[in-house]
Formats: sequence, C-alpha cells, structure tokens
Amino acid sequence: MKSRRAFKESLLYILLFIISVVFLAPIVIILINSFKSNFHISQSPFSLPNVETFAGIQNFIKGFTQADFSRAFANSAFITVFSVAGIVLLTSMTAWYLVRIKNRFTKLIYYLFVFSMIVPFQMVMYTMTYYAFELNLNNRLGIIFIYLGFGAGLSVFMFSGFIKSIPTEIEEAAVIDGCSPLKTFFLIIFPILKPTAITVAILNAMWVWNDYLLPYLVLGSGSNRTLPVAIQMALTGGYGNKDMGALMAMLVLTILPIIVFYLFCQKYIIRGVLAGAVKG
Amino acid sequence: MATIKFKDVVKSFDNGKVTVIPDLSLEIKDKEFVVLVGPSGCGKSTTLRMIAGLEDISSGEIYIDDKKVNNIPPKDRDIAMVFQSYALYPHMTVYKNMAFALKLKKLPKKEIDEKVMWAAKILEIEPYLERKPKALSGGQRQRVALGRAMVRNPKVFLLDEPLSNLDAKLRTEMRSQITMLHKRLQTTFVYVTHDQTEAMTMADRIVVMDKGVIQQFDTPQMLYNEPANMFVAGFIGSPRMNFINSGIVKDGEKLKARFSGYELTVSKEKAEYLADYIGKEVILGIRPEHFIAAEEITPSKDKCIITVNTEIAEMMGSETNIYFDLDGKQNIAQIKTGRKINPGDRIRLSVDEDHAHFFDPVTTAAIG
Repeated sequence: MKSRRAFKESLLYILLFIISVVFLAPIVIILINSFKSNFHISQSPFSLPNVETFAGIQNFIKGFTQADFSRAFANSAFITVFSVAGIVLLTSMTAWYLVRIKNRFTKLIYYLFVFSMIVPFQMVMYTMTYYAFELNLNNRLGIIFIYLGFGAGLSVFMFSGFIKSIPTEIEEAAVIDGCSPLKTFFLIIFPILKPTAITVAILNAMWVWNDYLLPYLVLGSGSNRTLPVAIQMALTGGYGNKDMGALMAMLVLTILPIIVFYLFCQKYIIRGVLAGAVKG
Repeated sequence: MATIKFKDVVKSFDNGKVTVIPDLSLEIKDKEFVVLVGPSGCGKSTTLRMIAGLEDISSGEIYIDDKKVNNIPPKDRDIAMVFQSYALYPHMTVYKNMAFALKLKKLPKKEIDEKVMWAAKILEIEPYLERKPKALSGGQRQRVALGRAMVRNPKVFLLDEPLSNLDAKLRTEMRSQITMLHKRLQTTFVYVTHDQTEAMTMADRIVVMDKGVIQQFDTPQMLYNEPANMFVAGFIGSPRMNFINSGIVKDGEKLKARFSGYELTVSKEKAEYLADYIGKEVILGIRPEHFIAAEEITPSKDKCIITVNTEIAEMMGSETNIYFDLDGKQNIAQIKTGRKINPGDRIRLSVDEDHAHFFDPVTTAAIG
C-alpha cells in the first residue's frame, strides 16, 4: 500500500518536473544566450556560455543603447503601474457595489462585465483603435483607460466572487461604528480584499507589461512605445537581420521585473483564487 | 441609559408587497433587559435592526430616549450592536477592533487605551489584545464583540442572537456573563434569540413575537404562569405545553373539563371565566411538569388521574419524560419517579388542576 503510494507520488513528481522544464526552458535559453555572441547563438543555441562563447555584458549594453531601452522601460512601467492601480481600485469598488446593491440594473451590468471576458481582443481591435485615435487616447495616459476597460471584466468577476463571501454584518458593524460608505470601503472592505487584490494585480500586471498588440496599435512605434514593441522594432539590421544577443539581453531585462513581482506576490495568488470558494 | 419606544411601526419589503411587521407598538424601559423571542421569520431581528437604524421603517415612529430616530443614521443613535457572527474586522487585532469606533470619533489615544483596557479587563481578554480574530476561539470572539460594544458606552446595547454559534457549555457561561454585564453597565439591553431558555434566564421582560405581531410582552414568570394565548403557552416552557381538546360541563356547583373519558375539576379561579363555555369545547393546556406520578400523591376522589401507555421514556436525571398518546395526539409528561420506566409500561398520572390552562379553540386566546 505504502509502496504504491510512493510510486504514484514519484510519477507525479516526474510529470511536474517535465512540465516545469517545458515552462522554464524558454526562459533559461534566453538567459544563457543573452551572454553569448551572435555567432555562437545561432551555432549552438542550447549550450552554456564558455570561455570562447561568453560575451560578458556586451549584449546588454548594446541593447540598452540601441533600443532606447530606458524610455521604453519608463513607458511600460508608467502604463503598467497606473493601469493596474486603476483596475484594482475601480473594479473592487464596482464589484462591491454590484454585489451589495441588488437590482435588475446591477445584475445587467455584472453580466456585461462577465460577457466582456469572452469577447476576443482581435474582434474589437480595429474599431477600438479607431475610437482611441478619435478620442485622443493614443498616448501613455489614454491607453490606461483602454486597459481599464479590457481588464475590468475578469477583475470585477474575481472581486465579486470574494465579496460575496464577506458577511454583510461586518459592513453593518462598521456603519454602527461610524463609517461612511467610503470609509467602510477603504478601512474595512479593501483590506479584507487584499489577497484577491494582489491576485488581480499580478494577473493584470503580467498582461499589461507583456502586451504587444494593443500598445502597438494605439501607441505605435514612436516615442510612446512600450518594451515589447521597442524590442521588436529595434535591433533590426539590414534584410531583416536581428541582433539576437542584444535581443536576448533585452528580453531578460524585460521579464525580470515581472518575474520578481510574481515571486514576491505568488503566495497570494492561490489564496486569492481560492478566496470565497470554501467556507472559512 | 435610554428608553425605546415603537409607535405603530410598519415594516414592508418589495415596495409594500411583503409586510413583516404589520403594526408594532412597544415601550422598553430605561436599564431594562428585554429579550425578543420567537420562531424564525417572526420579525424579531428586523425589529432589532430597526432600532439600530440598519433597516428603514415603512411607517410609524421609533424613539430612543424620547428622541425620534426615524431619520437618524446608525452612528448617531448612540447604540452598539453585537452580531450573531460576531462581525469582527478580520484584518485588525483585538485591540484595533475594540478601538476602531473610538478612533473614528477621534478620541485621544490615552482615552482609547483606557477604555479598551477597561473592557478587556472585565471580559478577561487582556492576553489576546494583539491577536487577530482568526486566532481566537468562538467564546473569545464573542467577548471581543461585546468589548467592542462596551467601549463606546452606548445608551442601548443591541444583541442579535449572540450566543447561537457557541456550544452548549460556552453558551451557558456567556449567558451569565451577559447578565452580569447588564447589571454592571446599567444600560438598556435588547436581545434577540429564538432560544426560550436564554430568554427566560436573562430577561427582565420578554417580547414573544409571531408573524411580526407581539403575542405577549411580560416578565418570564408571567409568560410561564399566565400565557396570553396558545402560541405563547406552546413557545415558553420546555418540553412544550400539551394541548388537549376538552368540553366544559357543570357538575353540581363545580365545573369540569371532560377529555378522553376523564374529568378534571376546574379550579375556582378559572371556573369564573369558564362559565360562558359550559357545554362548549375548549383547549385544555397542561405543562409536562404538571403531571404527577399517581403513586407520589395521596389519593383523593377529586383528583383527575389518567392511565397512559408509555410510548417513549426519556431518563433526564432527576426527571423522566414520558411520551404517551391521548386521542391520537402525542403528549408528554415530565415526572419525578424513583423507578425506571420502559416503553409499553402503563403509568397512572395525576393532573395538577391548579396549573391547568384553558384556551378558546377559535381565537386561541387564554380564558381567564
């Protein structure tokens, strides 16, 4: 009995190891190649850098200067931080209202949010781009509003699920203690929502930071370009030739902040996803 | 320290489609401990929430200390409420939970400290002040909820089934704590429960409600001894009162209640009121504890002694509950007897006529 269980566990570990390799391999390949020269990247992409192939931080310096990395990084950071902050703050408030005020109107709004999750971006991107230009949203500030719109569906859905599990008595106790609705939200509800808020923040930060298509369509490749667009645009030589070393180095620098952010907050993801699903 | 007055209060939901409180008038005295009791859905919690201001009233007036509070928000009513689920703020420590309302009032830190420590000492929760609610047991959480209410020094304490989530032992313990707290604080307490034992043991006066209507508002003794109707008679007392169909007949100077082939002599007090019912049907109410094992009493020809077949016998320690059938209806007698009773045993029970109750079968109101 015991050996059978051990066998099952071993199988599970092997499976998890394979999955981990599949997911980690691209990151590892990018990382090792970012320290190799262009020639050696194309010659032996899977080998570790050695004395002969090691290029030091040359690729990083090249990428940093040629791709105007710092400006793109600042653009991406600005858009991501404010989009995510807006999404977390506004959708949590919206979800609180939709859950607590029950009437036909709020029900309809809630279902519209849920419906927006299943509409593919490609279906609306041309119309959306047209209106983004019409409304002068084709800048760093404007795109934040667009992200808020696209991110609201999933975020409202996640917050609503959690808020349903908060007893209304807690809010009533706050009202009796002297809280206004705003104070009730910021002093009581929002702190309780922390695990879900962090999960929503991580998911949206990864999406906004890594997004290519929306900023490419709305912001273009000019001075407002974000990191994914900048990397794709820059480092391109004649006849479609790419500086692979610099490209890999830029990719490493691009994914680094989001990985750090994810690792820092990952314990909240499971807590946030499970929140409200089980009786406490 | 406050009086509470309900004047023709109506509470409806869904734009008047559902009325939960049709017309409520009630006066609670200063420093009184009043318990609202009744079955689920009787409107007791709604009544409490209307005092708190958590529910608007559809019409009528509510006064706290002669001040009309219909349009006064909960925070300005000078009340504190303890909820069934404790409603502690999960992200705050016990200290912060208790200090929260005082901080919102912008009281000086020293004063907040003093008040929190005063309440914590009374409730014996000083060691837990830095813990979060999830690290406390049910009883400790309930005491924190009480403490949170106490520090505000409110005019009125509102308690909504505060003990229903606790186990039986803790409930008994907390029951006496709350009673002592009331004596110590000398404040008006309004307490909601569906547990009649809690109501009987804690209240100065009890409001028995059913379908949003007050059935009786009186002291526990009066509710037990002189229930206003069959609902109150059945609700107060455990096990519940037996209701037996009977007819009133005149036998010489005396009135007798005839049921299942037996005759019970009506006491002089009751006979006066039952004169109008001669030849008519009434409902005879006998509490289980008012049956006496016939072997325990001196035989007398006036005593009504019934012989029953034991269906179930529950040994309760000093008493035994005997379930028996009378005219197709199950009844229960609670007798003190030295011997063991088994199902199927034939038992002779004497009915204590001084404690017999009579109800009108149509209105269900008590006669006399």
